[in-house]
Amino acid sequence: MTPEITEATKGALEERAAVKRREFLKVLGVSTVATAAVGCGTGEVEKLIPYLVSPDNTVPGVSNHYATTCRECVAGCGLIVEVRDGRAIKAEGNPNHPVNRGALCARGQSGLQGLFNPDRFRGPMKRDGDKLVATTWEDAMGILAQKLGEVKSTNAGAKVAFINQHEQGSFPALLDQILGGYGIPAHISYDAEAPVATAQANRAAYGSSWPMVDFSASDLIVSFSADFLDGWGLPVPQQLAFADARGKVEGAPRFIYVGARRSLTGLNADHWIPARVGSELAIVNAMLGKGSLAAAAEEAGVAVELLQGLQKEVREASASALVAGGHAANSGELATAVAELNKSRGNIGKTIKPAQGFNAFNGVASQSEIRALVEKMNGRGLEMILVRGANPAYTTPLGLGFATAMASVAFKVSFSSIPDETTALCDLVLPDHHALESWGDAEPIDGTVSLQQPTMDAVFDSRSTADVLLALAKGDPAQASRYPAADYRGWLANRLGGNAALRAALPTALMSGSSATRTVNATRAAALPAVQGAGDYQLITYVSPTIGDGRGANKPWLQELPDPVTKICWQTVVEMHGETALAIGIEDGDLVTVETGAGTLTAPALIYIGIRPDTIAVALGRGQAESAGRYAVAGENAYGILTQAEDARSGGIVYGATRAKVAKASGNQRLVTTEGSGRQHGRNIAQATTVAELIANTNSVEHHHFDGQASVEFLPGLRSPVANDAQGDFGVADSKDKGQYDPNHWSGAAKRRWAMTIDLAKCTGCSACVTACYAENNIPTVGAAWQGPVLLPDRTGFGANITRSREMAWIRLERYWELDREPKDVKFDSANADFETRFIPMMCQHCGNAPCEPVCPVYATYHAPNGLNVQVYNRCVGTRYCSNNCPYKVRYFNWFGYGEPNRTQYAFPEPLHWQLNPDVTVRGKGVMEKCTFCVQRIKETEHRVALEGREMEPDEFTTACAQACPSRAIIFGDAADENWSVAKWAKDRRAYHVFEELNTFTAVVYLQKVNHPAPSASANA
Amino acid sequence: MATLVQPADAPRRPNIATADIQLPAVKDYEQVDNEILAILKPTKAWFFGLLAALACLGLGAFSWAYQIHQGLGVAGYNPPVMWGVYIITFVFWVGIGHAGTLISAILYLFRAGFRTTIYRAAEAMTVFAVMTAGLFPIIHIGRPWKFFWLIPYPNWRLLWPNFKSPLVWDVFAITTYLTISTTFLFVGLIPDIAVLRDRETNPLRKKILAFLSFGWRNSEREWRHFARAYLFLAAFSTPLVLSVHSIVSFDFAMGIVPGWHTTIFPPYFVAGAIFSGFAMVWTIIIPMRKWFNLKHYVTLNHLDASAKMVLFTSMVVGLAYTIEFFIAWYGGVQYEQDYFWNRVFGQWWWAAWIMLTCNMILPLSLFSQKLRRNPTWLWILSIFINIGMWFERFVIVVPSLSHDVEPWQWSGYVPTWVDYGLLIGSFGWFFMWFLLFVKQLPIMALAEIKEIIPPRMKKGAHHHGGH
Repeated sequence: MTPEITEATKGALEERAAVKRREFLKVLGVSTVATAAVGCGTGEVEKLIPYLVSPDNTVPGVSNHYATTCRECVAGCGLIVEVRDGRAIKAEGNPNHPVNRGALCARGQSGLQGLFNPDRFRGPMKRDGDKLVATTWEDAMGILAQKLGEVKSTNAGAKVAFINQHEQGSFPALLDQILGGYGIPAHISYDAEAPVATAQANRAAYGSSWPMVDFSASDLIVSFSADFLDGWGLPVPQQLAFADARGKVEGAPRFIYVGARRSLTGLNADHWIPARVGSELAIVNAMLGKGSLAAAAEEAGVAVELLQGLQKEVREASASALVAGGHAANSGELATAVAELNKSRGNIGKTIKPAQGFNAFNGVASQSEIRALVEKMNGRGLEMILVRGANPAYTTPLGLGFATAMASVAFKVSFSSIPDETTALCDLVLPDHHALESWGDAEPIDGTVSLQQPTMDAVFDSRSTADVLLALAKGDPAQASRYPAADYRGWLANRLGGNAALRAALPTALMSGSSATRTVNATRAAALPAVQGAGDYQLITYVSPTIGDGRGANKPWLQELPDPVTKICWQTVVEMHGETALAIGIEDGDLVTVETGAGTLTAPALIYIGIRPDTIAVALGRGQAESAGRYAVAGENAYGILTQAEDARSGGIVYGATRAKVAKASGNQRLVTTEGSGRQHGRNIAQATTVAELIANTNSVEHHHFDGQASVEFLPGLRSPVANDAQGDFGVADSKDKGQYDPNHWSGAAKRRWAMTIDLAKCTGCSACVTACYAENNIPTVGAAWQGPVLLPDRTGFGANITRSREMAWIRLERYWELDREPKDVKFDSANADFETRFIPMMCQHCGNAPCEPVCPVYATYHAPNGLNVQVYNRCVGTRYCSNNCPYKVRYFNWFGYGEPNRTQYAFPEPLHWQLNPDVTVRGKGVMEKCTFCVQRIKETEHRVALEGREMEPDEFTTACAQACPSRAIIFGDAADENWSVAKWAKDRRAYHVFEELNTFTAVVYLQKVNHPAPSASANA
Repeated sequence: MATLVQPADAPRRPNIATADIQLPAVKDYEQVDNEILAILKPTKAWFFGLLAALACLGLGAFSWAYQIHQGLGVAGYNPPVMWGVYIITFVFWVGIGHAGTLISAILYLFRAGFRTTIYRAAEAMTVFAVMTAGLFPIIHIGRPWKFFWLIPYPNWRLLWPNFKSPLVWDVFAITTYLTISTTFLFVGLIPDIAVLRDRETNPLRKKILAFLSFGWRNSEREWRHFARAYLFLAAFSTPLVLSVHSIVSFDFAMGIVPGWHTTIFPPYFVAGAIFSGFAMVWTIIIPMRKWFNLKHYVTLNHLDASAKMVLFTSMVVGLAYTIEFFIAWYGGVQYEQDYFWNRVFGQWWWAAWIMLTCNMILPLSLFSQKLRRNPTWLWILSIFINIGMWFERFVIVVPSLSHDVEPWQWSGYVPTWVDYGLLIGSFGWFFMWFLLFVKQLPIMALAEIKEIIPPRMKKGAHHHGGH
């Protein structure tokens, strides 16, 4: 087809033909520069222009670090955000912050993918017919001002509701103040994940809604379905405290988990009492002397001996930490009972410390408040609803009909920065800045204000909701005088003691003082009693440890992060015991339909040994509507089978109150799991010991070294046979010049041996290190539906690449069951259902004698003098022999062009690629990659100390995984230098190398997990 | 020469020493030239065959282009199974190649008479099989456009390949083998090309043939030099038969993967290669002798003799299998034991039993002379052996990798249409060359056949003749 030359194009052609020589040269010059500038990147040219006038404090290629506060959950952890050339590239914990002490969970780190989410609103939107169309801020603000003006003038404030994400700090107070100016009642502070019932009962019993639990001070931890390592409550501080306690080894507390499903917390327990959902209360009551243990055992469906043992242990423990959680409708009562038990054991102030409690759940709204709102909407009692940062249309039980009710409201406004189900219903969208672009504060613990400051300019045309509200209030003559500050930052500075104080506090983002109290909206309906419903199985729907109530589902890092328990990613599964599967006649991956009073859900079954046979479990958070973005649609929506049930006292939502029918459905799906075999097959990869064994070994075994002993010989340079060989003639033992592999070489190149220790007694398997590695090393996520073959995709849907084990996680969390048979063949025994689980992070072991090195035909992988096993991407031709020969299987291949923007498999769609670490290559298709021990950090530190003309300090830097670890289980450093911590830990009595018998001389030293058997059992041992 | 065995006098099922195989139905030189050169005339069936081969090749080419563009992810790789159909097919075709050199070189040195009529086809098969095999390492790598980095060539960065890597040895082994076997094939063809030249009427083709025959004039001096050169090349090729597949086996044996890390691989691979090569010779030569009316050239005696070779190598391979299992048990290494159990009774039992059935059990039928002299059975058996030997390599490559020392990473492996496309494409490529060869150059060595038939003498004298 020949293109037609229209009048318009003709004109353009003539115009172009008329370009003069001088203009042509100008154009040529500019386009050459533009081409040169664009040549390396794919972004728009305009984005580069600001750097012609460099902002202060911005040195190209040198990172700035901003301290701020994490808003991914309510805990209020401190962040240090690394910003390079104006873009936030990495979120790490703030080491000075009292809540998280430098650690950060996977969800906190993934805040960056919310910031750079490709589905984010580009600017304000308003409704045009059945879709949202872009508009200007003037227009959008005008509409909102007009609507609010009408509300005020008609005194219709009572018919307006504002749902804000539950957060701490000053903003809620400002919000209520401004709402009050329009006669609107205080906002609803909503968080679907908040354990409202427990928090409220805690407040009544302890005086703090979330007391600090000092596990270290206890010698027994008992969790009554309290999943304190699963993201329940405040994940990072709880895990830090737990790992501190367990890392003590001798004198570490024993841990008993009581609950129907072994969550990640349950898997970390030394002992499991598989009590039915809701029966924890009867057990605690019996231990308090209210009722008999036998009756409690009957209700719990466990052997009475287990409860007798529990009671005995609790009685004999000098200091115990009893923690209440629970999925059932009585979790409030349970928390009260557990508090009573804690008191009776004298634990208050000793292990349970209300005085050091956390504020996170103060003032959080309950489910019944939301239901009251729905009833109001259904009764046409609401004319306007405003939502910010929450997604109640998704995170409430479908049966509640929030979305339908909300759709009936005349005017709906969203301040969400990312599209979701709730925003899709709205008439006006005024996208808020992401938390990493905004000002704010939090008071996670009394007396400490944690500041939140923008880490970079707004990615899109969004505006801070606080600024929007302030602007509106200023535009209202009646209110304007109350807000003298120019913007929210100014308002905040005034509140926090002035601009100077704020500026002084920003480097650490911490200041002492108190930021906020707020009025609590108490409009709530009477609690809905839990309806048991019909069915043979108790259903637990739980908040996912990785994607939470669904707010993480639009972040590919979190979708790709395997659930620490099930190891499922990108998928929703129905967890059931092997006996249950046998009864229904299904196997792993067969589709089952779960039917509750609320609805049905069809998903593949996953046989899980850590669940009672009369119970099934489904994780919440996946299967969102298309409006929630490209990633969030993966999986099935478990809110559809969540019945409406509320805790009788607090009105908090109950996630495990209903019974369900389970039936086999036709068909099956491949499980999107990263698990190969979940058992060690006697290979001693994750080793464990007990305190008694350690003491016995220390006393009995004579320690002597022998030639080739891995625990010593993994140290630097020439002691590695391969490195010696690589020197050719220089490698001869009596040669004077052994080359730079000689530790005594003048270059000092082989002076160091970069190494790592991982303490399995501390590691809980939480997988924060995995996400840290993704963030630091530009690891592509590969599980999206469009990331497989283009032609004839052999398996469609999310996780297709992962069903072929093609995930790229340089560090992975292996979760091994200590069983002598396949988990599906294990029968449930109510007297002895306990089993041991071991977690082990596995990454490149940087072997001194690496099997991958000699087989590479092109030297793409070789041994560096400092002990690193180096992978040269540019040299790699992709024979994959190195991976075949790697016993640890820690090498990952780029099957597709995940780093190439013009491909469907591209893992970093605009602007997700803004997060990419400029110090690390984005690997091309067809090359091998693996853990580098964060070589870019090693080099950065080497260069820095060289520039500063000094020696490197011991423990001066660490790798991304070690930095993030909320258990502080990973220690990185120079094992050849006694002053580094890692050198000390590598000689620990629990130290071992995985597959030591293969003579690989690994640089990763694991410290055995320490099990704590029951006191009587250890006495027998 | 000993007395000729006339068909009429022969026992119904003679047991013939391989050196003594004669061609009683071939009477004189003209008959040899006429009958064998008649094959060169293209037929309709041949065109269809070529078309089918080109179609398969087209599928392979498309699959490869798609794979290069998209990335290796379109193939069925399932880490830790990082090697799959391509490496299997590579080893398969290298193995096929070995019978040709064995027949043309080693059997030549051993004066095994049954090689005479089949060696040209086997040698052509060798060259084409190595040409096919040589493609697969390139198809298999992640960045095929960088394959030349495996070749030691001088460059300003002073970067050399890693001479410790068996993959570099492979490069040398394959290129050496291709060079030598091509030279050997070509040198053997020189007198025959001269025959073609003499009969050619088209001046252009005549010129080309004259060039390729190096102006062969059939002089005694030329024959003397030719015989020396041929003998020298045979001696030169002989160690290659053993070394090339030994080196290919090092790809596995040098790894520490359970199921690979074993010293028995070199002899085991060589035996397997000869075994599979003979099977492929049957696959080709049995239809050929039927379609081209060559049953009096490739006689039942020839097939019988080669069947004994197949039976022998089958038993060597079977012994190797048994020793592998025994050592896995006797060695006491848990990884090996688990792996072999999984190979034969676990996840991969079907592949292992295809291999054992095709390579160990079915060839035992060749103890029966009746079956050894039944071309239909031999052809069917050859297909089974081809399949069995492909699966032998499958069993070595895939189950070993899928069941390595790290249980968390254990996996399965299912090839995709791209894998199959390239497998089919490799047959298309191989048969395209072979079909073109069949119609361009004599598929049997005219000169050597003439050596074993009585020369034309005066009437009545030829019974007294002999070499």
